[in-house]
Amino acid sequence: MRADRTTYATGDAYVSTGMIDSRAPAEAHRTPAAPGEPLLTVEDLRVQFTRGGRRINAVNGLSYEMVPGKLMAIIGESGSGKSVSSRALMGLLPGTATITGSIRFDGRELIGLDEKELRKLRGGDIAMVFQDPARSLNPTMKIGAQISEAVRAHADLDKKGVQARAVELLRLVRLPAPERRFHEYPHQLSGGMRQRVMIAIALAGEPRLLIADEATTALDVTTQAQIMELLVELRERLGMAVIMISHDLGLAASYAEDVVVMYAGRAVEHAPVRTLFSNVRMPYTRALLGAIPALEREPHSMLPVTPGQPPDMSALPQGCPFRPRCPNATDKCLEHPPFLEHEPDHWYACWHPAGTELDTAPEVTAAVAPATAAEAAHHSTAHDQGAAQ
Amino acid sequence: MAVADTPLQVAENPAADQDDAVPGGRRWRGQLGLWLPGGAIVLIVVACFLGPALLGLPKPVGGSVLESYLPAGSPGHLLGTDPNGNDILSRLLHGGRASLFIAATVNIVGLVVGGTLGALSGYAGGAVDTVIMRILDVLIAFPSLVLTLAVAQALGPSIRNTILALAFFSIPAVARVARSAVLRLRGQPFMAAAELCGTPAWRVLFKHLAPNIAPQLITFAMLGMGIVIIIEGALSFLGLGIPAPAPSWGNMVADGQLSLSATPMLVVWPSLALLLTVLSFNLLGENLRSRWSGR
Amino acid sequence: MTTAALPRVPGDRDPRVSPLRRVTGSPALRLVGKRLLMAIPIMLGVTILTFWVLSLIPGNAAQQLLGAEASPEDVAQLEEQLGLNESGVSRYLSWLGNALHGDLGNSLVSRQPVSEILADRLPVTGELVLLAFVVSLLLAIPVALLAAHKPNGLMDRISMMISTLGLSVANYVLALLLVLVFAVTLGWLPAIGYVPLSDGLWANLKTMILPSAAIGLPLFCFYTRFLRGDLVDQLQQEEYVTTARAKGVGSWQVLLRHAFRNSSFGLITVVGLNLGALIGGTVIIEQIFALPGVGQMLLQAINTRDFVVVQAAVVIFALVAVLANLVVDLMYAVLDPRIRYGSR
Repeated sequence: MRADRTTYATGDAYVSTGMIDSRAPAEAHRTPAAPGEPLLTVEDLRVQFTRGGRRINAVNGLSYEMVPGKLMAIIGESGSGKSVSSRALMGLLPGTATITGSIRFDGRELIGLDEKELRKLRGGDIAMVFQDPARSLNPTMKIGAQISEAVRAHADLDKKGVQARAVELLRLVRLPAPERRFHEYPHQLSGGMRQRVMIAIALAGEPRLLIADEATTALDVTTQAQIMELLVELRERLGMAVIMISHDLGLAASYAEDVVVMYAGRAVEHAPVRTLFSNVRMPYTRALLGAIPALEREPHSMLPVTPGQPPDMSALPQGCPFRPRCPNATDKCLEHPPFLEHEPDHWYACWHPAGTELDTAPEVTAAVAPATAAEAAHHSTAHDQGAAQ
Repeated sequence: MAVADTPLQVAENPAADQDDAVPGGRRWRGQLGLWLPGGAIVLIVVACFLGPALLGLPKPVGGSVLESYLPAGSPGHLLGTDPNGNDILSRLLHGGRASLFIAATVNIVGLVVGGTLGALSGYAGGAVDTVIMRILDVLIAFPSLVLTLAVAQALGPSIRNTILALAFFSIPAVARVARSAVLRLRGQPFMAAAELCGTPAWRVLFKHLAPNIAPQLITFAMLGMGIVIIIEGALSFLGLGIPAPAPSWGNMVADGQLSLSATPMLVVWPSLALLLTVLSFNLLGENLRSRWSGR
Repeated sequence: MTTAALPRVPGDRDPRVSPLRRVTGSPALRLVGKRLLMAIPIMLGVTILTFWVLSLIPGNAAQQLLGAEASPEDVAQLEEQLGLNESGVSRYLSWLGNALHGDLGNSLVSRQPVSEILADRLPVTGELVLLAFVVSLLLAIPVALLAAHKPNGLMDRISMMISTLGLSVANYVLALLLVLVFAVTLGWLPAIGYVPLSDGLWANLKTMILPSAAIGLPLFCFYTRFLRGDLVDQLQQEEYVTTARAKGVGSWQVLLRHAFRNSSFGLITVVGLNLGALIGGTVIIEQIFALPGVGQMLLQAINTRDFVVVQAAVVIFALVAVLANLVVDLMYAVLDPRIRYGSR
């Protein structure tokens, strides 16, 4: 699989083939995951922070599976644990975090790996692109040095080889004039270019899984689309799996194949994107979908609003965490709903899934009416800002 | 596109969440870090100001040469006597009295004058700010010890003149802290609100600004106490602070230096007193600072 | 990008534009030039302030030189000879005029040119300060790196304890303790005195070790605390540190290449600001160790009302402080690409 990917890369007009070929033998011993077997299995992942004597359960029993080569989106509000869980995959959480559960990558358990093995994993098997490229690049180092550092961390090349590979990576992410940019500093680049550099850094170790943590949130809409297109294209060419973490269900719908919806540190619904949109089950996902402004909607009509606040992660309600905000909630929901594959490829955790005989809410879409005009106004502002991104 | 009530535009930043992740034990130790030096300071102050009377110690001056160089533990002289036959413990406590009084006064003067200057400078901005800051720049570029030496020399050694000399040193430092604190506050909505309401400037300064910059200034003053005690000691050490024969930790160290090889304890006792006092103020200041900075 | 961030430089013929500004296209040079211009009023202020403070001191050198029994006529005559009877303003202006030509005057007491005295004394103080700085930084950087590598680890706790303690010790107390241990008790090093470098490196160093340690140890504690705190902040808060870790770079490399690189800016600033305060601190240390430096000269001059020498010493001290800040700005300009390329 590694070898395959390098062939893909050599297919690219920009790539200097000699470079890649010299790497190929070293990669050959890596065995790819058998087809159909999951690349990544997260099981009952829990991350706990202790803050000021209070325990905060940032991730609360997250489970999902991912097959190689997929583009999967993890969607959730701020504080739903999506970022924390992805950083847990790479062992990037600070010492104050307690991590339990299981993360298996290509059959290998990642929790409990020592620092040395984690270092090989980071940027090697799993790489990450962060939200704000202005902050994620070291302002005092040249672009070239920052990419070279990533190249050196995973390949034994001489100085010239490292530089050639770094420039090649910059070409791969379509950074204009890579040789010149190589010698420039991050502040001399635009936001979109910086994010391309971040992606080039992430690709340096030829990862099998790329995690894009809100990678386009800080960019304007046009750049956002360009970066997403680049990620999609690179995924196909390099055969890597991509997890995009976002709060933006619309963006996920446009690019992802699978969607995991997280709420209060758990996965609450997981399905292929079409299934999710046609047969939404979890009332929370339905609320998210209902809040997407659509062209079919009456002009100037109010968008539906989910009442209540996102949960306090240090004092979660009993049973289903969405219960206090859920229109379907009954006493049954005081018991925690299991996250199960209720339908083929469609997982969810709900006692009263939408669109089934168990659905207790009268309407299917726009189930939650805006509570007050003020709230609706607040929401439409939020939507405007969202669209402006 | 998402649930309305959530601030979607707010970036999720786990790193920020983790800053203040403090294990339970640290909290308790944080309290200890406050009460231990605080208690030590109270103890030192009580000992210096009430100790001599409570313990019935002899006067710090006018001892008999017949009683000079008594070792520690001698009857009536717990720490022994100095070359002039004065009780060391009594001199230590009286010296501390002077040190603490000078340091406290200098810091109060620094806080009031420097704080007002700095707040005014930051609040008024423009020409006022430029003039005040340039003057303070000069004071800061001026070697502070030289200034204090010159002032002390000019006015002659006395407690009042030592305070005056050291205040020169304290004012610009406090003013800078106050100014930057005010500049940070200026941008905040409550300040704009107060100004839009037509609140007079002096009222804004005292009602809105002062309470907000006070914690930072007080923290700074705690660290300043340590610094002033050390510099006052230096002045007295050079014979330009508290005039002999009145005791101060600085001049006790200086006097002890003359017979360092024979009677090192004459240096050790005032040095220990200096160290403990300054350490307590520094620890307290550090603790307060980490509290206000939220970490 | 570079040019876009700069305000347009007016044409060459514009008389209001200083030649300096016309020559310098680089924002870094402009920054330094601006600081240099700001330093001039500060230096003027310092010299005026010194003159004013000194004029407040009762008694003058003529009285001091002739002794208390001298007749008023003799004193008046000497005063005139020394130029002490002129008004403060005219004395200041003539001093300033001479000083700008490099003439700092003659000592009122020894009649020796001040520049000659300084030539003797500056190397002593310079060596003292340099040794203290170099040694404290050379020790503080590795200790802070070790401490920050494992925050709250053993190394961190020990170094923080020692540095807290060290910061609470007055340098004159430390000096005496060092003398007590290394000179009086162990007898390894001389307690006082100075041997010039021309009499041999080791002989010279032996007299400089204790004084520079008395200055350097508190500095070491200060730098260690500062750098350690800044490094830990970088490691915990900066996103590019996370990026570096996510690349698979080792923890030491993250610390050195990323955190330390950026912390070094803060350290440079602190070192620069320190230098001014430090040079004032040499007065008491030179007094204790009987080192013939500028500090000792200043103290003597104050006692003998030799105001010409005092004035010169203050100017030197202030100049060092101002220059140190200028060097800090220059180093920033060289090290920080954001300034070098003018985006900030």
